[in-house]
Amino acid sequence: MNSATIALLGQPNSGKSTLFNALTGLRQHVGNWPGKTVEKKEGSFFHKGKEYLVADLPGSYSLSANSDEEVITRDFIASGKADVVCILADSSQLQRSLFMLADYAGIDVPCFLLLNMADVAKDQGKQIDAKAISQKLGIPVIPFSATDVKSYDGFYKTLEEAIKKGSKLDVDSLKKQYDGIKGYQEILSLIPENTVPGYSSMWLAVKLMENDKVVCEKLKSALDSETYKKLISAAKETQGAVATGGCKFAWIDDVLSGAVNSSGKKVSLSKLDKIYTSRIWGKPAVILTVLLGLIGSFIPAIPLMIVGSLILMLKVPVASALAAVGAPEVLTLVINDIIIQSFSYIFKMLGFVFGVTLVFGLLEEVGVMARISYVFDNTMGKLGLQGKSVMPFLISFGCTMGGAAGARVIDNWGQKVLTIALAWAVPCGAAWATIPMLSTIFFGPGAVGVIVAILLTMLVHMWITAKVFGGHLVKKEDRYGMIMELPPYHKPKWGALFRYVFGRTKETFFRVAKVVLLVCSIFWLLSYSPSGNGGILYAIGVAIEPVTKIFGMPWQLFLSYIASAVGKEGAIGVISALYNGGSYSAAFTEAMSGAAAATNLNEILLANVSRPEALAFIFAMTFNMPCVVALAATYQETHSAKWTGLIVLYYTAISLLLAFLAYHIGMLIW
Amino acid sequence: MSLSEVKESGEAVVSSIEGDTRFVSRITSIGLTPGCRVSVIKNDKNRPMLVYSRDTMIALNRKECEGVRVEEVSA
Repeated sequence: MNSATIALLGQPNSGKSTLFNALTGLRQHVGNWPGKTVEKKEGSFFHKGKEYLVADLPGSYSLSANSDEEVITRDFIASGKADVVCILADSSQLQRSLFMLADYAGIDVPCFLLLNMADVAKDQGKQIDAKAISQKLGIPVIPFSATDVKSYDGFYKTLEEAIKKGSKLDVDSLKKQYDGIKGYQEILSLIPENTVPGYSSMWLAVKLMENDKVVCEKLKSALDSETYKKLISAAKETQGAVATGGCKFAWIDDVLSGAVNSSGKKVSLSKLDKIYTSRIWGKPAVILTVLLGLIGSFIPAIPLMIVGSLILMLKVPVASALAAVGAPEVLTLVINDIIIQSFSYIFKMLGFVFGVTLVFGLLEEVGVMARISYVFDNTMGKLGLQGKSVMPFLISFGCTMGGAAGARVIDNWGQKVLTIALAWAVPCGAAWATIPMLSTIFFGPGAVGVIVAILLTMLVHMWITAKVFGGHLVKKEDRYGMIMELPPYHKPKWGALFRYVFGRTKETFFRVAKVVLLVCSIFWLLSYSPSGNGGILYAIGVAIEPVTKIFGMPWQLFLSYIASAVGKEGAIGVISALYNGGSYSAAFTEAMSGAAAATNLNEILLANVSRPEALAFIFAMTFNMPCVVALAATYQETHSAKWTGLIVLYYTAISLLLAFLAYHIGMLIW
Repeated sequence: MSLSEVKESGEAVVSSIEGDTRFVSRITSIGLTPGCRVSVIKNDKNRPMLVYSRDTMIALNRKECEGVRVEEVSA
């Protein structure tokens, strides 16, 4: 056999993702588990000529049936698809983090234990005797530190040994603990071995006592109804998860006794944590951290963004080269306005995705993200979100696609989609460049009022959107309060982090290229006209002007509003060109490639657009779909065409509604 | 008494865990089981509590603390 499959199992913050990235590097693939909204991460690596497939199982604190993640994890392991399971524990918090191992006990698949963060434990003055633990457990146990290159040799060796020997966890002493629970013996005697393949009777009995819905169903269908009834009534007599949890920790204490030596220092918060957990300074500190992170993201983004701008410069030479060989004009337009334009967008976006993934991946890895969660837990909880969601919102003030990419650190899919859906309501940098400019032209000092109104609308919008989408995305039983560890800070593993970031950026490129090319083609086709004057969008815009006027937008403004869905940078350029009598198809593509607005923009606007119309347009443009790349990033992160489509439709409808309100309120004022 | 009633820098021992299956399972898996000792590190209103138990700093939503019944012990 020249290949083997390893599954990585560990609690959140056990360093599982870091190990996965360090092992597989760019050879990884992220998808979804079939029929589920849980991310599936797979990768592979070669060692001594043998290929190892690695499955990074979703992180959870236990193997109960509390979430899809946990059920997927245990079913995958019990199915026997993995030759060996690598169970990760955090050496710096060994007692608690061995809970996963205790919950695993009884699943009949070879495994070994990796005591991660050995360096952090050492710094805390803890000495851990891995050999002693290994003897008690009957499986290989290795101390490990992701940042230490030598650690990996030990890892590969242990891996080979565990596969060769098929080392299985010794559960006898844990069994003795369970024997102490009144009623356990009776339950155990009613479940014959092999009732459910892959799980021992002990494991099933324990899960039954814990009232595990999925296990109950499995037992119900596997056993006759008489036995099942007996089981249920016996399980009711026990103290359930409280009793079994007590046994698991008693067993852990037993395993660790004599194997761990700690200096017994009294715990206290570090200086940084004193600031983050402060009632007064906590929130400002988090906001400052995220903003610095946002600024920091631009630095690694610059090279790719420059590539994006350079691509645009290809337009002129490409056009002349094509003209020289006598290519039809349509071909030139397709290449320039769709392909070159799209790739320019894509590279600029990749730059930003790269920067945001790097900086916020780093914050996650060193442990800062957990502090952000803690500080904003109460506020974000009101929207049905995790504390971490505050980070994508803040990034979206700069760029919505960065916000969408940043939402990756949210581990619950529904909350991630909801966070992105709300982040769209935050006006991005391009909108903030346009809003004050248009407002000043029309309202003078009143521009401040417009900006305040936009911010208030944003807050109400987010609140309402959370209600509209929240019910479907975040189930009621998932809206629990925070129960989370605050991990110790650790040093980042740069190599693994960079490999992860490159991997994600590469994957984003392929996924996003398709979406951006498709959407840009559609917009181009709609605005293209062979005569240079007309086009489908233009015709529709003019034809439905009586309708769009209800929303306060004459056809010129309505078409710029449509253009603002592709990229907000272009909205002003389109207005300027259309009121100057330019054709829509030319205006559209030129504005998108960054053509400047006419110098006499002020006069043109004031002569053609009324104040209520201007107000309507500002609202419509601001709360419209942020841009094509934000759309693509949303699709990339949610893995759902359905939800991405719903969000687009919702935002289009809401922006028109807001335009309608702004226009009619404006009519009352002026 | 409930865990949230323990003052900052106070110590307590968990006496019982009350709540639905999901809650009990989650609170157990983070390490809070009857008999385990807990130090309260932070206890501010409108913020999750910070407690230290089994080598771990744990952030707990205040509402969830209701289900964690404790007996205070002197440090």
